[in-house]
Amino acid sequence: MGRMTFVIRRLLLLVPTAIGVTIIAFFMIHLIPGDPARTILGIHATPKAIAILHRQWGLNRPLASQYWLFMDRLLHGNLGQSLYYNVPVAHLVTSRLPATLWLICYAAVIAVVISVPLAMIAASRKDAVRDHIVRAVPLLGLGMPAFWLALILQTELAVRFRLFPVTGYGSGVVGHLHSMFLPSLVVAIALCPVVIRSLRASMLNVLGAEFVTTARAKGVGSLRLFVRHVLRNAVIPAVTVLGINIGFLIGGTLIVEQVFAVPGIGSLMINSIFQRDFPVVQAIALVFGVMVVLVNLLTDVAYAALDPRVRFDR
Amino acid sequence: MKHRTALRKGLIASSTAAALVVLAACGSGSPSSNGTKSSGGPVHGGNLVFANPQDAQSMDESTVFDNNSIWIIEQITQPLYTVTSNGKGVQPWLATGYTESANHLTYTFTLRKGVKFSTGKVMTSADVKFSLEQTMAASAGWGYIDAAIKSVGDPSPSTVVVNLKYPWAPLLADLSLFANGIVPAGYGGKTAAQFYQAPVGTGPFKWDYWHKGQGLKLVKNPFYWQPGLPYLNSVTWTDVPSDNTRELQVKGGQAQIDQFPAWSTVSALKSTPGVDMDLFNSTETNYLAFNENVKPFQDVHVRRAISLAINRNALVNAVLFGNGKPANSLFPPQVPYYDSSTPGYQYNLTQAKQQMAASSVPHGFTTTILIPSGNDDYATIATIVQNELKPLGIKINVQTLDPNTANANFQSLKYDMSLTLWTMDIPDPDELATFGLDPKSGAKSFFTDYDNPTVIQDVHKAEQITTPSVRQSLYNVVQTDAAQDAFMAFLYYSPYPYVTTSNVHAFDVTPLGNYHMQDVWISK
Repeated sequence: MGRMTFVIRRLLLLVPTAIGVTIIAFFMIHLIPGDPARTILGIHATPKAIAILHRQWGLNRPLASQYWLFMDRLLHGNLGQSLYYNVPVAHLVTSRLPATLWLICYAAVIAVVISVPLAMIAASRKDAVRDHIVRAVPLLGLGMPAFWLALILQTELAVRFRLFPVTGYGSGVVGHLHSMFLPSLVVAIALCPVVIRSLRASMLNVLGAEFVTTARAKGVGSLRLFVRHVLRNAVIPAVTVLGINIGFLIGGTLIVEQVFAVPGIGSLMINSIFQRDFPVVQAIALVFGVMVVLVNLLTDVAYAALDPRVRFDR
Repeated sequence: MKHRTALRKGLIASSTAAALVVLAACGSGSPSSNGTKSSGGPVHGGNLVFANPQDAQSMDESTVFDNNSIWIIEQITQPLYTVTSNGKGVQPWLATGYTESANHLTYTFTLRKGVKFSTGKVMTSADVKFSLEQTMAASAGWGYIDAAIKSVGDPSPSTVVVNLKYPWAPLLADLSLFANGIVPAGYGGKTAAQFYQAPVGTGPFKWDYWHKGQGLKLVKNPFYWQPGLPYLNSVTWTDVPSDNTRELQVKGGQAQIDQFPAWSTVSALKSTPGVDMDLFNSTETNYLAFNENVKPFQDVHVRRAISLAINRNALVNAVLFGNGKPANSLFPPQVPYYDSSTPGYQYNLTQAKQQMAASSVPHGFTTTILIPSGNDDYATIATIVQNELKPLGIKINVQTLDPNTANANFQSLKYDMSLTLWTMDIPDPDELATFGLDPKSGAKSFFTDYDNPTVIQDVHKAEQITTPSVRQSLYNVVQTDAAQDAFMAFLYYSPYPYVTTSNVHAFDVTPLGNYHMQDVWISK
């Protein structure tokens, strides 16, 4: 199977996945107790006012009918109207998605930049002191609560030394790089330990391979050996680990978004669940589903780019 | 060549890490530093940033009930009268005065001259008539506040006539509500939905943008009617849910005002250099509600016993870190007609046991207290109440539900006991009295189903009597009866905490929560 056929087949699989996501998201959010009209009206919620809003939003119709209406709109490219903000859901989601994508991509880049050299250092001498240090220290990142680490970084780097803003998303590429560094670093620090361990283990495997011994016998220097021969062969399991973790991060960056006031889609999702803003929850669940599938697809495609021996029909 | 390439690749990883830090740290400028208190007078200029725990919800003044939205709307649109700084009266705003007919059914208002909308268009009586009529028609919004108004006339561009269905004492207070703010007639040729995406008013600031979930910015209205005001070029409300982050933003100079810092930080913030910690008098009152549809809460002795067993000072210390006062009345002290001698039950365990002995459940019972998740203050109160009622033989299970479900259950009277609060919208007790004491008002007596015909009669009598001394007498009786019936346990009165950077001046919050940003300035 060619690469293009593989990609098209995986993209077609998006359709049933998306439909499944819409069904689960729609019925789960409608099945839990709570009422968006009561959220909006607050303590002023009278039965009459609630009934007016229900009629206005179509919430007085049977659930199946509401789902059908949602799907009908979706097929026409309309994600509906936010009940809470009274603006198109598509506008709300597209305005919040870039911040989350920035956070994830920036965190992934930082994680790679930190992990690759550290894994190389650890694998270069198995069971040496530096190996133990590299294996042990990043584990702290896995154990540290994100909100605590965020608070420390904000207090020291933003308030004390004023190197970064305490919060925000910034504007323009440089502004985003500046404002999003601390939140991305917090996400990356949690990501690093698994990537480092995976990469280190793969590197140790590759280091035992015959072609590495041959390269050494030919006098290839150790940096060149690692970069040209070991890293390229060892990186595939790490890409899998990174891909899976990025999949988890989509929608899982809520705490970091909250602490750094990053206007991302994770915080929008949580707020919308609390507000019972059904159309927004349904739309975001759909976006999450599609993104996870796309990240997995990109991971698979990346295999082939890194290792030409990988076949798409396996 | 190949060797050099390999070396370069090898260096990429480590050097990129350093480059990222440098690039990121050298990015889009550093935050401004805190100013210090200036001894000089007000200066023009500056952009003030609020760090708010929650985003606004809507700018539609006729339907929105969310305080974060209301306090922003008040900078854009203005009513005929506004609340005085002590929160107990009104003062002329877009109107300069009024005359009242002998039968108290017709009020004729004279409009202030020279008032313009932020578009430059002059405000006339046609705009006032249109605005009031829109709010009167908002049946899922604030329509009920104008229920006494029969019609609005605009006999001349500078005169507005309000005709009432019956004499209505709180009229001026009702007209001072933000929902009765004046917008251009016909929404300036737009639909209501289009208009409220970027509303226009006569207020000190005009619309700039609203990035939902990020921030809402208003800029100076060049046509504002108060000469020389506002001082600020812009005000931005940013959405920062975390208490810690809001505090750090103010300390770091990224925001100038932190709305509602955590109570646990108030003491430390009072001694933090570069910031001012203010506790403004408020009308916020916290209550423990009893569902009278559930046994044994129909029994007044049970309600009194619980009210008497709660140590309100302990609650104030535990929840507000001492920054509040025990409540003695349904009304807060900052409301007109509040009676400081109202005999609301206070902590007295001996009397609590006597009431319990006289009740239908002298040996105690098991019940639940409903609280929303994520509310630390309510969790603390529930735990304290749980322990304090043990000597009465009352076993309490704390039921924690997500806020939306908890709210739905509370309003549907699917609870035994629950915690709730109130802040005043208008400088008159009528709204609170009707909401809290008349089960037919729609709110089922604060969702307790408390029903005392004498109290209800007095509440409605006080609405239609315009003599202040008579209203005071009626409200004294209402407060006393409600306290003796212990339909809710009145817990405590809480101030509004705000943190500002020390270079922010003239920021004042009324007990109703309103603030006038046109008076605020930032020293250089």
